[in-house]
Amino acid sequence: MGDVASLILKRLALGVVTLFVISILIFGAVEMLPGDIAQAVLGQSATPENLAALREQMGLDQPAIVRYFHWLTGAISGDFGNSLVTGERVSSTIGPRLLNTLFLASYAAAIAVPLAIILGILVALARNSVFDRVANILALTAISSPEFFLGYVLILYLSVKTGLFPAISSLQGDMSFGDLLYRTFLPALTMVLVVMAHMMRMTRAAIINLLASPYIEMARLKGVPSWKVIVFHALPNALAPIINVVALNLAYLITGVVLVEVVFVYPGVGQLLVDAVSKRDFPIVQACCLIFAATFILLNLAADVGSILTNPRLRHPK
Amino acid sequence: MNYFVIGFYALLIGSSCLAAYYQKRSLFLLLFTLTLVCFLMGIIGGQPALWFVTVLAGIIALAAGTSYAWREFLVLTLPRDMSRALKTAPLTASFGLFVIFIYAVMGIFAPVIAPHGEAEVISSAFAPADANMLLGADQLGRDVFSRIVYGARNTVGLALAATILAFFIGAIAGLFAAVRKGWLDQIMGRGADVIMSVPSLIFALLMLSIFGTSMLVIVVIVAIIYSPRVYRLTRAVAGNVVVMDYIEAASLRGEGTGYLIRKEILPNSTAPLIAEFGLEFCFVFLLIAGLSFLGLGIQPPTADWGSMVRENATLISFGDVTPLIPAGAIALLTVAVNFVVDWMLFRASGLKE
Repeated sequence: MGDVASLILKRLALGVVTLFVISILIFGAVEMLPGDIAQAVLGQSATPENLAALREQMGLDQPAIVRYFHWLTGAISGDFGNSLVTGERVSSTIGPRLLNTLFLASYAAAIAVPLAIILGILVALARNSVFDRVANILALTAISSPEFFLGYVLILYLSVKTGLFPAISSLQGDMSFGDLLYRTFLPALTMVLVVMAHMMRMTRAAIINLLASPYIEMARLKGVPSWKVIVFHALPNALAPIINVVALNLAYLITGVVLVEVVFVYPGVGQLLVDAVSKRDFPIVQACCLIFAATFILLNLAADVGSILTNPRLRHPK
Repeated sequence: MNYFVIGFYALLIGSSCLAAYYQKRSLFLLLFTLTLVCFLMGIIGGQPALWFVTVLAGIIALAAGTSYAWREFLVLTLPRDMSRALKTAPLTASFGLFVIFIYAVMGIFAPVIAPHGEAEVISSAFAPADANMLLGADQLGRDVFSRIVYGARNTVGLALAATILAFFIGAIAGLFAAVRKGWLDQIMGRGADVIMSVPSLIFALLMLSIFGTSMLVIVVIVAIIYSPRVYRLTRAVAGNVVVMDYIEAASLRGEGTGYLIRKEILPNSTAPLIAEFGLEFCFVFLLIAGLSFLGLGIQPPTADWGSMVRENATLISFGDVTPLIPAGAIALLTVAVNFVVDWMLFRASGLKE
């Protein structure tokens, strides 16, 4: 076990370092502004007195390193400063929206992950058949379509033409859980389609890769039925790549969520980020970017740790 | 039950029986599954659902016919070594090539094809389609068809420029890293790791919020975001080539790094790089389309598919499909490039075995 523990520790340390570098990048990006934040907020017509006052209020008279550590320690404890546009605390703006986004992402993941793995295995079983080809073409089409295309197609056919689901996911605090699931079904379905196609293709590739190995052929020659070969012989070894696939696609959900939230006017972090970018509200942009990047890095980390843990060669060293 | 429904099922069942009789196993499976699915759809959706299936089948048949003819056309007209590779190409790949060709023509000859200018206001807002305007007018009264044609030039051109720049940066850095190795390789590798550990859309949004949204900024930012992927691949491919004996022979002969890269390494690693170019283009294209859709890409009045979807999105709530056309155009091109890349990757892997 010593091997595995040190491998995981190394990977965790690498993750922390990456996160640190990313935080520097996000903070440093705003420092690259022509002029500085105060200039960007007040515009060209600002008087020197106003500029100086704002600079002092925002602490811009201190050196960048001091401000960076101030910002970082604040960010770790959940305090990202105040919005430049509304003046509200960034954390109180982001908090409820973050919950909404996490809800949407986990809703999509809960549908997509089991479905994609089962479909991937089925398609791998029927490889090179007509179904495999049709599934391949459909998956490629789903991957290649921009999220907003899928979203609007779903709105047009499932909401406008047939009226099955609401097109705009307006959330109220007192909705029941079932109602919540119903209202957010279309955005979740959009993400399911994109992510599922990815996952299915990758699961199929992972299993087909394994099916070529000699021990599978041995099992076949012994006369084991083909579903047993897949479930008992191939699947345990395919677990590592599949866990990797799942985590990578959950990470992909994070990018997809921004576009989907805008299409369905869903009150989440993605929508907030886009608004903040067009209003140039830097504290919110920084906070959202840090949250998205951190989730992305954590999921990638989870993927690596998962594949280390499920690798029998590492678990039972010779 | 009317004649259409009866004819529909009779045709499906009849053709599946024919397929079974002539031992076309996969065709039979496909047709009969389709029949079963159509039973289900007919019960749930009624006649419109069956119409939908018919139209879809017609479109697919048309696409298949076009791709078949296009493949034969290419085989006959292209020089021999290229046509031999194309002979065995699947229909999907030839469909992809056809779509790419159409888009290229549309982009290059946009001013000739489009009946109106891209920013020309010619009627009232959201005017319906007539003989003058094939697809109607958008929210300012500009011709949607002309804007889609110009969009092929602007959106695809921008994505192409960004991909080429990303390739330039990534491939050169990767080749240098593979040849020189040492600390330069280490630094570039870690830098690539950092850029790749931020989601691309988030990174692009961060940078655009700071540098504003001009064409040049978009191209440079997108190229920087996607160059690490090219770098990784080039580094890996070139890394395999660098250890070959003929490279050592060349460097013992006293050839410089530039010569090694141009004459020895590059010709032996082009196949995976070309496939990667296609994939990369898809990613870049989708990212740029996404940015324009968010209102942060190409700025109006320049015609651009992503922002056209957003500007006309209100029409969707009235059941109008016009806003979906530019979005569909994006999807179609990405699918087409993916089909071609799939075929190229398959060929590359088939040749290796």
